Amino acid sequence: MTNVSATSTAPPPPNTPSPNTPLPDTTLPIAGTREVRARARRLAHDRPRQVGLVVGLYLLAAVAGLVAPRLVGTLVDDLGAGTTTGRVDTVVLVLLAAVLLQTVLTRVSRLLSFRLGEDVFAELREEFLIDVVALPLSTVEAAGSGDLLTRMTADVDTLARTVRDAVPEVVVAGLTTVLTVVAAFLAGPLVALAALVAVPVAGLSTRWYLKRAPQAYLAERATFAGITAGITETAEGARSIEALGRQRLRVQHTQDDLARNFVAERRTLRLRCLWFPWIDLTFALPLVGVLLLGGFLVRGGHATLGEVTAVALYVQQLVDPLDRLLSWLDEIQIGAASLARLVGVGDVPPDRVPSDDEPADQRLVARDVHFSYVPGREVLSGLDLAVRPGERLAVVGPSGAGKSTLTRLLAGVNGPDRGRVDLGGVPLVDLPLERLRLEVALVTQEHHVFVGSVADNLLLARPGSDLAQLRTALDAVDALGWVDALADGLDTLVGSGGLALSAPQAQQLSLARLVLADPHTLVLDEATSLLDPTAARHLERSLAAVLRGRTVVAVAHRLHTGQDADRVAVVESGRVTELGTHDELLARGGSYASLWLAWQTP
Amino acid sequence: MRALPVAEPGVPDLRSPTRLLVRVASLQRRTIVLGWLYGTVWMSTQAVTPYVVGRTIDDGVATGRVGSLLAWCGVLAGLGVLQGAVGVLRHRAAVLNYLQASYLLTQWAARQAVRLGASLPARTSPGAVANAVATDSVSVARLMDVQARGFGAVVALVIVAVLLLVADPLLGVVVLVGVPLFTVGLGPLLRPLHARQSRQRAELGTLTGLGADTVQGLRVLRGIGGEEAFVARFVHQSQAVRTAGLAVARTQSLLDAAQVLIPGTVVAAVTWVGARAVIDGRLTVGQLVAVFGYAAFLRTPLRTLLEMLDKATRAHVAAGRVIALLATEPLVTDAGRRSDGPPGDLVDPVSGLVVQASLLTAVVCDRPTAGTALLDRLARYTADDDADEDDARSATIGGVRLTDLPLAEVRRRVHLLDNAPVLFSGRLDEEVGGSARTVSEALKAACAQDVVDALPDGVATVLGERARTLSGGQRQRLALARALAQHSEVLLLDEPTSAVDAHTEAAVAGRLSAARQGRTTLMATTSPLLLETADAVHLLVDGRVVASGDHRALLGDEAYRAIVVRGQVPA
Repeated sequence: MTNVSATSTAPPPPNTPSPNTPLPDTTLPIAGTREVRARARRLAHDRPRQVGLVVGLYLLAAVAGLVAPRLVGTLVDDLGAGTTTGRVDTVVLVLLAAVLLQTVLTRVSRLLSFRLGEDVFAELREEFLIDVVALPLSTVEAAGSGDLLTRMTADVDTLARTVRDAVPEVVVAGLTTVLTVVAAFLAGPLVALAALVAVPVAGLSTRWYLKRAPQAYLAERATFAGITAGITETAEGARSIEALGRQRLRVQHTQDDLARNFVAERRTLRLRCLWFPWIDLTFALPLVGVLLLGGFLVRGGHATLGEVTAVALYVQQLVDPLDRLLSWLDEIQIGAASLARLVGVGDVPPDRVPSDDEPADQRLVARDVHFSYVPGREVLSGLDLAVRPGERLAVVGPSGAGKSTLTRLLAGVNGPDRGRVDLGGVPLVDLPLERLRLEVALVTQEHHVFVGSVADNLLLARPGSDLAQLRTALDAVDALGWVDALADGLDTLVGSGGLALSAPQAQQLSLARLVLADPHTLVLDEATSLLDPTAARHLERSLAAVLRGRTVVAVAHRLHTGQDADRVAVVESGRVTELGTHDELLARGGSYASLWLAWQTP
Repeated sequence: MRALPVAEPGVPDLRSPTRLLVRVASLQRRTIVLGWLYGTVWMSTQAVTPYVVGRTIDDGVATGRVGSLLAWCGVLAGLGVLQGAVGVLRHRAAVLNYLQASYLLTQWAARQAVRLGASLPARTSPGAVANAVATDSVSVARLMDVQARGFGAVVALVIVAVLLLVADPLLGVVVLVGVPLFTVGLGPLLRPLHARQSRQRAELGTLTGLGADTVQGLRVLRGIGGEEAFVARFVHQSQAVRTAGLAVARTQSLLDAAQVLIPGTVVAAVTWVGARAVIDGRLTVGQLVAVFGYAAFLRTPLRTLLEMLDKATRAHVAAGRVIALLATEPLVTDAGRRSDGPPGDLVDPVSGLVVQASLLTAVVCDRPTAGTALLDRLARYTADDDADEDDARSATIGGVRLTDLPLAEVRRRVHLLDNAPVLFSGRLDEEVGGSARTVSEALKAACAQDVVDALPDGVATVLGERARTLSGGQRQRLALARALAQHSEVLLLDEPTSAVDAHTEAAVAGRLSAARQGRTTLMATTSPLLLETADAVHLLVDGRVVASGDHRALLGDEAYRAIVVRGQVPA
């Protein structure tokens, strides 16, 4: 199991859309059996020559491997009838030639098959990533990163095993098994009949096993993942554990995780222990049957000793491919489950159907907006707000009042349940995403430093920006100083595996991206919350200078944002309760005024 | 079956990787010996099957004697049943061997992680600990699994050699030469295969890392664009994985071909020598079939030995990594002997700060890192080489140096809530800790009651890993509640309200002082709301206390105003 970077860094904790509303268990879709089969078929259809060649070569290799028992069989008959050493030499030379041929065919077929596996695996994971980055933002937010992350790491890993090992093994073993049976029948049709006693034993027991195995193995893997997750949590929180004196509790936590895994392991072990004896019987019965029936047939003159020998050898030779076939079958099922989870991501419907309507101007207006994440728990209830183009609007209010949700609607991330949020008369959610980004952008306190250089982290907002633009953007967020102080400046590698940036630095990068993206309306949700107050205020002012003429809607818990803004909107219980300039609201003596007095000392 | 894991994992032997592996094995010797026993019987039944087949053909089929035919077929069937029965036992022992070893290493890693505690990020990384469990323990466990079969394989090889030597000395020699040839012949391919496999794993690791990076940053990405660049980056790495995979395929396919060639050649040689022996009358037809059967069977023990060699190499490397982790020592040595320290003022000689007992004190620092360093010294999280070079630098509590107290005693008496606390998965009330009353009081004092009210099962709600479903402010308040529930003699808080909104901050400020009434509390903060409630406030500039008083008095100080005053442009 490879585990490299998924657990090595502590990603910044993502913010949930609505702090006070627990999200329902949203899981991303999982593709149905039919869809998975269709996808698998399509993979084969897309490369018919490659697949045909591999299967053809496998067939030939298997056939070459079947020469030996047949030759030994004829040799036995010859020896019984009396033969020369010359005859023996010839037979052995043919045998040797068959071995050489099988060797070459094995090498070529395996090589081509590995290549096929790599191609298919690459296509699947790349297609998956393309599906992932196309997911609607609301889906990503709702599902959280956990589920997607599991699909990206665990399922891709599982699929590697399936595509690279399980599928070729099963194909080769399956072909070899069938061909060996055919060869046995060709060598001694009557004798070979006895081998068929194995079919119902193997068939029924395997059916029983496969019905139960995948579920049990998935549970086993889940408990194993639980152990790793628990240990990671312990390691990441080691300082908190020491501070709280919870060493024993955490060790016990691991102990419990292991105990859970043991229960799951025991279940799969039990399944195997019930299945394996039947498989052993499958291997033993045909041999006994062939020799027994063969003995009587030879007695009656219906078969030769050589035929019995050849069939007996074939039956013994069946053990290996049959064993492989059976032991890899459940892996195919598990792989199919992983594939279903990867393909399923492509099934998420787009969250918006763009219309052709063009916004008439840059006026952002919310009218009687109602919104809830969970039915029955309205977060916004009849909110009205008209943002004036070019103004700086501060949004304040208590936790859970709906400020963050309002920003999401103003940025077009979610659409209202009722009412409208329009830009220039066109509902925001009717704008194509690429277009929307040029109009309105949202930066929350959530930040993420991507693996790559500092420049890479900025360029994603506007690919093709030149160095001067990058520096200007960094300067606007007070970040140019520390970036220049880094060992390689803008080329310094950051993110997981690179230099770890502090949370305030990461937040500055997020804002620099926004400056580069340069939409006419910016929505900031606690976008400077991780900086210390002095730095935050300085940043906001230098940012304001760069963004002159742009519309800015900013949620902040530091009230100086309100003082610096053109207008302040107080949001309480999902509505705008006060709206006006800082001075107007102070003069009104409402909840903003009391808050300000409490906050601003002396 | 004994339930696993064992309660106490025993002591690892860290002197060398081999010794560690031996220690792991000796801690589960019962299952290991059982595994050898079953492995031997299991392999042996397979080894003698060709002999029985040969006798059946000679005595039963060739002669036409029904009695012998039935008898030998009966023996063969009996062997099959025995093999099936022993096979299950062997498999059970192998799985138990695997699990015991993997659990053992996991337990060691977990204990080491909590032993390192606050030193862990500096001494190693969470990733290294996770890898010890996810990867290294598996490698060692696989060796424990395969070694029982390997033992059986050796026994089976001896049996076959004896049977062959008895049947025909020349044949015995052919097989006894051919077998080592097989093993030695594949050896040179294994090393490059491993190298290429690990390169591919590394590339796949990087790819998964990029994928995880994209997923974790997806919300940012979807908000601001740049998807094409990420897809391109991923595809580029994905193709690197593919290329590395093709390199593996070239070696792997050679190895697969060699596994056909070498035993195939041995079979041909055996057939040649055997058939000539039949002509000479030294061998019967049935014996020839048996010899052919031996040669074919030999692939199984050989493959097992090869597998064991492979897994032993990997386990050895893994054991080395595990030793590196387990041998790591914490930064802070626990050498203190005194346990009778009286309560009293907390003093930091480095900055000159005196935190008076039973009061709520605040410290305002010109740089946030200075506050963090100060609190680390006061709670003894600072590495020894920084604190101990001069005993006079050690912080004191009630006149007793922290370095003279056992570390556990310091942790019990002085609780530090740092600025990046980790919340653990599990029930919320258990995470906060203490009786139902303690929990509810702590939640109230931290203004976290609304967080709980919004959860589906209230305090009984099970939070996920690191409570990621909650917002930063919600997590901060829960962590504060958890710290308050400790009821420690001294509580140190590093920017405890940095992520909460002004309304909530105001409420926290009021309740915090009430909750800590009569006990020593120190907070590093720049929030006027919190500073307002403090009994004493100290200003730290360049690491030294330069001014003290209460908030209102200090507002006369220019430097102080510049840091804390929010309503006006900073000077």
